[in-house]
Amino acid sequence: MDKPTSTPAPGKLRLGRYLRSFAGILAGLFLLWRLYTALIVDQQFGADTWVRFALSGLILGGMYALIAIGYTLVYGIMFMINFAHGEVMMLGAFGCFFTFEALRFIPAPTLAIPDLNFLDAHPILSVILAFAVGISVSATAGYFLEKIAYRPLRKAPRLILLITAIGASIFLQNLAMLLFGPQRKNVVNPELLDRGAGWTVIVSGNPVLISYTGIFSLVLSAVLMIGLYVLVQRTKLGRAMRAVALDKNTASLMGVDVDNVISKTFIISGALAGAAGVMWAIHMGLVNHYTGFLPGIKAFTAAVMGGIGNIPGAMLGGMLLGVIEAVGPAALGIDFQLKDVIAFSILVLVLIVRPSGILGEKLSEEKL
Amino acid sequence: MKAAVDKGLRTGVIFGIVIVVMFLIGFTVTGAELVGKLFGVSTPSNTMPSLSFFALFMILMGTWTGTIAAQHPLVEADTWKRALTAGISAGAFSGLLAAVIGFLFGGLNSSKIDPRTYLPSISPESIKMFLFGQTSLVGSLMIFALLTFSALAGASLSYFLRSNNGLKSGTSAATNSISAVMRSERMTSLLQNKYARYVMMLVFAAILLILPRTWGSYWNYVFGTVGIYIILGLGLNIITGWAGQLVIGYVAFFAVGAYTFSLLTAPEPHHLMLNFWVALGLGVLAAGISGLLIGLPILNLRGDYLAIVTLGFAEIIRIMLKSDLMTAYTAGPRGIRDIAGPTLFGKSFISDVDFMYLIIIAVLVVTFLANRLQNSRTGKAWYAINLDETVARATGINAFASKLLALSLSAAVAGLAGALFASRNQFTGPDDHALMVSINVICLVIVGGIGNIPGIFLGAFALKGLPEILRETESYRLLIFGVLLIVMMRLRPEGFLPAKRPKLEKNSGKEA
Amino acid sequence: MSTCIETKQVSKIFGGLTAVNTVDVVVTENIIASIIGPNGAGKTTLFNCISGYYTPEHGQIEFYGMPIQGQPTYAVATMGIARTYQNIRLFGDMTAIENIMVGQYPRFKAGWVDAVLSTRRERDEEKQSIEESVRLLKFVGLAGLGDSLARNLPYGAQRRLEIARALANKPRLLLLDEPTAGMNPQETGKMTHFIRSLRDELGITILLIEHDMRVVMDISDQITVLDYGTKIAEGKPKEIQSNQRVIEAYLGPDVTSLTKKYQLRKKQRYDAKS
Repeated sequence: MDKPTSTPAPGKLRLGRYLRSFAGILAGLFLLWRLYTALIVDQQFGADTWVRFALSGLILGGMYALIAIGYTLVYGIMFMINFAHGEVMMLGAFGCFFTFEALRFIPAPTLAIPDLNFLDAHPILSVILAFAVGISVSATAGYFLEKIAYRPLRKAPRLILLITAIGASIFLQNLAMLLFGPQRKNVVNPELLDRGAGWTVIVSGNPVLISYTGIFSLVLSAVLMIGLYVLVQRTKLGRAMRAVALDKNTASLMGVDVDNVISKTFIISGALAGAAGVMWAIHMGLVNHYTGFLPGIKAFTAAVMGGIGNIPGAMLGGMLLGVIEAVGPAALGIDFQLKDVIAFSILVLVLIVRPSGILGEKLSEEKL
Repeated sequence: MKAAVDKGLRTGVIFGIVIVVMFLIGFTVTGAELVGKLFGVSTPSNTMPSLSFFALFMILMGTWTGTIAAQHPLVEADTWKRALTAGISAGAFSGLLAAVIGFLFGGLNSSKIDPRTYLPSISPESIKMFLFGQTSLVGSLMIFALLTFSALAGASLSYFLRSNNGLKSGTSAATNSISAVMRSERMTSLLQNKYARYVMMLVFAAILLILPRTWGSYWNYVFGTVGIYIILGLGLNIITGWAGQLVIGYVAFFAVGAYTFSLLTAPEPHHLMLNFWVALGLGVLAAGISGLLIGLPILNLRGDYLAIVTLGFAEIIRIMLKSDLMTAYTAGPRGIRDIAGPTLFGKSFISDVDFMYLIIIAVLVVTFLANRLQNSRTGKAWYAINLDETVARATGINAFASKLLALSLSAAVAGLAGALFASRNQFTGPDDHALMVSINVICLVIVGGIGNIPGIFLGAFALKGLPEILRETESYRLLIFGVLLIVMMRLRPEGFLPAKRPKLEKNSGKEA
Repeated sequence: MSTCIETKQVSKIFGGLTAVNTVDVVVTENIIASIIGPNGAGKTTLFNCISGYYTPEHGQIEFYGMPIQGQPTYAVATMGIARTYQNIRLFGDMTAIENIMVGQYPRFKAGWVDAVLSTRRERDEEKQSIEESVRLLKFVGLAGLGDSLARNLPYGAQRRLEIARALANKPRLLLLDEPTAGMNPQETGKMTHFIRSLRDELGITILLIEHDMRVVMDISDQITVLDYGTKIAEGKPKEIQSNQRVIEAYLGPDVTSLTKKYQLRKKQRYDAKS
């Protein structure tokens, strides 16, 4: 018989570990240099602009966080990346758009203003309705997505599931485009929530607008995030979700209806995305079939950044990404055109340097 | 009997929704146009197809509904009564949905409300066609009746065929027939006969030589694109089909190849004007190296991450190319023009015929490469990693190095395709490198037959060739892809031409 | 006789659970050594440490004197250790002969360049590979089934194919994880005979996890008993059979007193009769 071959020399695998930290340090140094240049040397922007950036970052971050939670919930329970999640958010945004449009055409005349419409007459009710519609549409979409496309493939290899998800994403995007047209639609808010309206604050001599829509989105995001956390940690359903995420078979042996829990998870993740979609429509004002694509990828980045499978991680990642994206181009002295590059670069960097994310990934060891 | 009505209800509702959605996206018009095409009648643009074609289209949909509803049940006995009940209820429910929508939109038409503000794909003419040119009430009743009775007909037909022939389903018969023809005993024995093979190769070579000269520059362009997509498909197949690692941002490597080549040969922005072949080689090399660099940190993470990182990488490249920041290096959003055409011994052969030959040669080379890799020790290692990476490692395969090799080779092939694409168009810009390219390639590999070289040929022809022939479906192409991906993963994940393992034991006797 | 494989104070700890607790096992070459113990005793975990899937927290593992703990699995395989699995893990979508050819991977050298250029090396190795694989198929009794998809083979054939794949590596140490699981007495007998022939004809050292005690007692040259991750006994079959601690591990701690009571009562009845 042949003699044993000598121990293989330390190959790329050994080097890989140091490569990771090395890349991280390089990236960190680069960032520090850019920050120094932009903040200390150039000093292009005053404090008021920074506040404006930070604010819009937080608002954006709230929406990203809600979508990111959706990704993380589905990943935790099925170990798949739901590529169609961005489209689910887009459907919610459309729901809001159509609700507002419909309400705009219902006349609600008063003595003072004879041509008043319902939307402006009852703004709060309209917004509630819009959320109801948007959330229902998205939740339903999530439910059917799971039922039709993912459930039959529960036992299939991951590659097949991923491709189905991609197919679903393409399908929904193009369905929306064919149904509603490729033009971006202008969402007309009720007068009370006009995009330009809000409180004005003076920061270092300049006015900074804190818009009503912005604050509304931020507060609502926070409420929903807290609500979800309570749901997952304190309720029976939340316990079931965590059990299924840890070990599907054992959970079912313990009497958990796994199919039902997975369905509900998709409904919840869809609902959150729908809420984010409605907020997007109200705050950003433009909707079309492509609206979900970029926020979808960015929210996924946020989920990975926080540690995929980890719900507080998704929340943290979302908020962080929103702020970085808003503040980043100015802070790093990069062209604003490249702001999307920031999100993608973060994704690539995080996966290279710390793939388990900030708060750590919940992995189950592969058993032999 | 109740179960039959239930089945009919479910099938009918599904098909009803499908028909309604088709109407809402304007596919009813396109469908009618396609039916007309079958009869050799082309519909000039801006006019509606003939009502009879639309009626025929609806009859086809109805028949299909009935066939599905009447499928052999597992719980009940398969009687004609059951089949017909299922069929007619399916037809009725789908007809009901269609009728309601037709009635509503007919009402819109009468009130002169144009739905196009919110639903741009529906025109008043398409509504009229949907109602067979009648009033709302009559039209909706007509479509209800049409769908109901054609479903009934479909159900009876399928039941009749089933009880007499044992024919299971039309759809599976169609997909199996392609594989059946290719795998039939006669075909395989024919392929193994040495002389038959030589003759076939000669015929094939003759076709390849003559066709580009005769069919005109339009078809050269179309099939040139098909050829480039075949190369892309073969490349993606290495990392995704064989090694099993999904890559979504494949276009990134395409871009690296195209831009490296272009920047080295175009007069601006750098005026390097390198030789075509040198630049081509450098483009391929650059792409391969970029694959290597991406793979190094990512390939020992879980499979899903590679997919996402390549997506991010592709988008980063595209955005940076489009931005003004890099314009000094990469010519920015306007793109690079006057890229060199190929030259052979100083003589430039840039005509579309000559370029077609070049593409054909490239396709042959890459196919040869792929074929040799497929059944080699390296290829088997890739497939083993795909099937069970843990066990592959335990049998002595260095999975990381193997996957890295697969990714680099895939990237290099994409680079080749990119350089050829840029050279042919003599132009490349950031919009040539959008994510859509990646999605196209994924679709063609999956649908054609994942891991299987003939399957990729089929996929490329279907993906790029068919839309040229079926011009009408242009706007629906992506929607159909999405549906196709979902449906195929469910029904036939191995693709239309599934890969087949070689018969090594049987042939070993012959060689020894 | 040199030591084939030796674990020195190896421990594998998963968070709060110590699956393998300072286990010392010495296996000289060309014997059949069995590792037995109740379910959950840590047998497969020990295998996984040897094959490189796990890195032990403490201790060393030496293969012919060379430390292998912490090495990646492919390096361990290349050094000449092959294994089979409790739940058969074949490459289902490959043919039987292809499975065996994958097993040969570390022994050949042809790379992608060789494949593309169809060099001499590639062609020679391919030929040799197929010939050897066909011979291995015959050796395990699967001649003629080489072109069937592995997942279409019957259970017993799959087990044998897995062993053939392991043998394709020309290993010096073979780890067999419950090779007779799911077999009837006839098949078990054949498998036992087969494992013996591996030791005698091919000179391989075999480390065996088994639950079928008849097999274990029949073919083992040495038996190591684990319970809750700790080694509780080691020795020849006869010694293990009568080892009180081993019996208690399998049948529970009261078995000794129960057995004594039973024997006492039996004697009483016998005395009462006479």
